Amino acid sequence: MSLVFEHVSYRYPNGTQGLDDVSFEIRRGELLAVIGPSGSGKSTLLNLVSGLAFGHSGRILLNGKDIATIPIHRRNIGMVFQSYALFPHLDVLDNVAYGLKLRKVDLATRREQARRLLELVGLGDRTHHSVSQLSGGQQQRVALARALAIDPSALLLDEPLSALDASVRGHLRDQIRQIQQRFGATTLLVTHDQEEALTMADRVAVLQQGKLLQIGTPREIYERPATRAVASFVGLSTIFPATVVARDKINVGFAQWTTPTADRQVGAAVHALVRPEHVEPDPPEGALNRTLGRTATLRYFGALTRYDFLAEGATQPLLAESPVPARQAVAVSPARILLLNS
Amino acid sequence: MIRGVSLIYGLYLMLPMVLLAIGSVGASWTNTLLPSGMTWQWFADVWHDVSFRKAFLTSLTVALSACAINTLLALPLASALHHGSRRGGGWGARIVSAMPVAVPTITLGFGYVVVFNTNTLPWLGTLPLLIAAHAVHTLPYLTNTLLSDLRHLRLDRLEQAAATLGASPWKQFIGVTLPSLRQSLLSGLVMVAAISVGEFGLSNLLVSFQNRTYPIVLLQAFYGATGFACAATIILLLLAGAAALSSSLVVRRS
Repeated sequence: MSLVFEHVSYRYPNGTQGLDDVSFEIRRGELLAVIGPSGSGKSTLLNLVSGLAFGHSGRILLNGKDIATIPIHRRNIGMVFQSYALFPHLDVLDNVAYGLKLRKVDLATRREQARRLLELVGLGDRTHHSVSQLSGGQQQRVALARALAIDPSALLLDEPLSALDASVRGHLRDQIRQIQQRFGATTLLVTHDQEEALTMADRVAVLQQGKLLQIGTPREIYERPATRAVASFVGLSTIFPATVVARDKINVGFAQWTTPTADRQVGAAVHALVRPEHVEPDPPEGALNRTLGRTATLRYFGALTRYDFLAEGATQPLLAESPVPARQAVAVSPARILLLNS
Repeated sequence: MIRGVSLIYGLYLMLPMVLLAIGSVGASWTNTLLPSGMTWQWFADVWHDVSFRKAFLTSLTVALSACAINTLLALPLASALHHGSRRGGGWGARIVSAMPVAVPTITLGFGYVVVFNTNTLPWLGTLPLLIAAHAVHTLPYLTNTLLSDLRHLRLDRLEQAAATLGASPWKQFIGVTLPSLRQSLLSGLVMVAAISVGEFGLSNLLVSFQNRTYPIVLLQAFYGATGFACAATIILLLLAGAAALSSSLVVRRS
């Protein structure tokens, strides 16, 4: 089953543009993550697919069929909510079996299927517990099992991990991904957590103000962001305004750096993006792009330290990270400086 | 200081009830601070008084009927108001919330007198009209209780989850909304019954001699023996107390 968005636009009842001509496809069995800042339209996208919002222009095709006129309860879409939304009056097993009951699957069969799904998410011993007795992570696993029980045409994950502790999040992230792959579920994940998107998704779409800025694999999005907005939203980085001063040479204000400038003209205004992990501390004298300065704010993360490096003459610090912070100089390999057109 | 004020306030609240309890077992009470002698006779007299027994049954009928009607009306009403307020139509919910406080029962009663004392609608004094009036009077209390739980339990999210799993709006209501609201429905109905049983102003305008409610008959008792009136009031008080206690137990369990 594929899920296709064709020129989808949506305006909120108050007149604000929610989505602006968004087109992309989620292929069969693929997990596509949509990320973007608050108000970017990512939740609207999800609500339009689920049927919780309606009134869009363009087409949303589920397995080739336009779902605009199909009521929410006939779309056969499994949804996992941020707040779990488990039914408090049903036990764990009956929560998972609820969708099967609506499909008139007989009691023994639906309970057996629900039990098997609960085994799969590691909650086989909690079938008759009340949902209120479960931890947040366990509740979300029940919600996932409940959504998968109906063999959905598409699976929608609405910020599924954002209400959980960081300690639970990593493990559950892997588990959701494994189960999604096992079921081959065509999945749309909406999240504001870029790390979640990059680690879970086959492809990532970046939205801003209702517009699709870029769609690609996590590696493409991280390593080759199409715009400054994508670059600044995905991952940590420092972006300096710069000018091309010669072939493969840019001026960032406080230094001249060597980096491939491709076919850009001398005098062209660009932005130079540097990821913190690409900043080399205390390089040998004579190294390319060696820049003198001093280390400012330090943040210790155990395996590495993230720090601000204040280059001589610079007005903006360079974010860097390494096991040992720089003492007096840093360098960035020319290939690691990404130029974005202004 | 606060403890002292609370004590005085507690005494102020309890004193009338204590005096009623004392009066109900006092053999004689005329122009004295406390009654003299002790007897259970007044309770026996109330029990054997046909008009009190009939009034008690009428009150019970009216209260239970109001509960039944309110159950049918308040659940869909609260659900509609809740969904309406989420779509920006919150004025309906606000009117329902304010109605019991803003509209005095006497206003409602006079309205009924004007409308139903005509040749076209000659229903003043009938039991069905009394039941309808009690249902209208108590409906906002039940609706408010349900509305509060609808918001608190985030039932809209549960309904949405049920919808994505294939539940039609009716099945969402039956399978999710109703079971989730059962505790607040029960506690709200106990409140409806308590208000209906004790209601005086509205009933006083609408009842005929044949279907007088318990509080109406009770007022007339105060023109007779004090002990009898006290015993009849204590019965009403016990009824209201039992309703309030069961309501709070339901709330605590939920």
